[in-house]
Amino acid sequence: MPDLSSPSPSRTPRRQVTAPLLRRDSMGNAYHVLTFDVPEGMAALPGQFAMVRGAEWGDAPLLPRPMSYLSGGTRPSILIKVFGEGTIRMARAIPGEPFEILGPLGNTWPSITPGKRPLLVAGGVGVAPLLYLARALSAEGVKPIAVYGGRSHRDLPLNEELADVSDLYITTEDGSRGASGRVTLALPELLSEDVEVFTCGPDRMMAAVSELCAARDVRCIASLETPMACGYGVCLGCPVKRVGGGYLYACTDGPCIDARSIDWGEGSHAPRRVERGDR
Amino acid sequence: MTDQSIQIGNLTLKNPVLTASGTFGYGLEYDDFYDVATLGGICTKGLSREPRYGNPPERICETPAGMLNAIGLANVGVEFFCKEKLPTLRERGVTVIANIFASSVEDFVAITERLESESGVAAIELNVSCPNVSKGGIEFGRDPKLAAQVTAACKAATKLPLWVKMSPEAGDIVGVAKACEDAGADAVTAINTIRGMSIDTDTGRVRLANRTGGLSGPALRPIALRIVWDLVGALKIPVIGIGGVFSTRDALEFLLAGASAIQVGTANFSDPLAANKIRLGIAEYCAARGVAASELIGRGRPEGA
Repeated sequence: MPDLSSPSPSRTPRRQVTAPLLRRDSMGNAYHVLTFDVPEGMAALPGQFAMVRGAEWGDAPLLPRPMSYLSGGTRPSILIKVFGEGTIRMARAIPGEPFEILGPLGNTWPSITPGKRPLLVAGGVGVAPLLYLARALSAEGVKPIAVYGGRSHRDLPLNEELADVSDLYITTEDGSRGASGRVTLALPELLSEDVEVFTCGPDRMMAAVSELCAARDVRCIASLETPMACGYGVCLGCPVKRVGGGYLYACTDGPCIDARSIDWGEGSHAPRRVERGDR
Repeated sequence: MTDQSIQIGNLTLKNPVLTASGTFGYGLEYDDFYDVATLGGICTKGLSREPRYGNPPERICETPAGMLNAIGLANVGVEFFCKEKLPTLRERGVTVIANIFASSVEDFVAITERLESESGVAAIELNVSCPNVSKGGIEFGRDPKLAAQVTAACKAATKLPLWVKMSPEAGDIVGVAKACEDAGADAVTAINTIRGMSIDTDTGRVRLANRTGGLSGPALRPIALRIVWDLVGALKIPVIGIGGVFSTRDALEFLLAGASAIQVGTANFSDPLAANKIRLGIAEYCAARGVAASELIGRGRPEGA
């Protein structure tokens, strides 16, 4: 039985800062980049996340929202997709509005095995931690391959920014931009023993990517998104099923986890079945 | 600063602010945020005789001014806790209240005996009120006879102060609490969560895999306060108030109602510094009025209530 609770040793101390929103950049109604002003800086690395909550939200929405860093430093930023009450508030936030930002949390994307080329597979808002990674790689002189998919051209926030730092392939389900279909359409010809895959997007997309990678024996790291109350291993609200039994916690074991250790057929990654609660 | 210490039976706490079981891990997770030894105490994640993986996801969801959880008492087990967590807590001078859970009286006693053999445990809190496990838990807390039986058996197994955490779902919560008092409980904690539900109207499905989950957060507070008020009026032993304490004012409400101490729970998730802010807030409130923290207890009650 593994230790169910211990956070992995934190790389940098996590802190909660109250920071004003510096700017909000909107891409249509659904996607927004929120940039905060943190003069003392946040030592957040690609793959890590923050718990973000409006400092004046009061009793509702109650919990902070887990958000991947799009950038760290003195102007940390996040990419949000409007989904529920919390992201609706974030999408309406105006510069100067105070937010509580707790981070950096979770692990980072692991280092790329020497000799391999990174292949980034992003779905929609999942682009955030991958664009941060691509920019970091670019600064080291590495140009990754990237596959970026969405329902339509409206679901590809920051695609131009990603194109600047990668060899980018775009797919849309409605064919409104790039190849018509899902990211898995573009993957088979890109997967080889020369690449390592880093993916973030909807669970079912990552499950499919993971399966393709496993079939070709390609290492695949997935950045998980689950409901979460605390972000640092206390609430135990973010389990994902582990291959061989038990759970991995997205916050402390991840969010970046080797896709082979995740049981994609169960847990929050499968369509939820009402029967599961019946006993 | 005025005297902030509080008596819970024979146990002296540094101040009336504790953190609630299940919302504070084993205390060590808050290292980066503040020194948890400054708190009145921490209640550990519920410890069972053997480690437990807990329920499948989804385990949590947010609800109006609250959240539902059905974690299923995932924990490292009492043995691992004693070996790997307690020594560090002891070293740091943290006041540790070990919250324990079992599905049989025998296991409750076994865990109590294991903790009795360690130093650094200030008190044991019996969780007879978890709504999220199929066996044990809440049925002990609903039935005065069963609650008394567990309390008496554990009391016989330890010299440590014994607190019993009340279920708001007991039909006669005062009756259960009195039965625990008669069986030797040193204090009662009130309240645990109340079972609730949430359905995702987009998918048409129940949100939690366990179907129901315990409601916590500000939504619970008025109910908790009313129950604490009732218990304080009926019991001789101290009552520890818990339920949606998010701010200093919330904590003061419970103290004025007669709670001897309070526990901060879900607020730790919204703000990891919450318990420490409340500790400082109460001290400031006391200083402004020139009263000791213990003098606040029950001040909101009319004479004789």
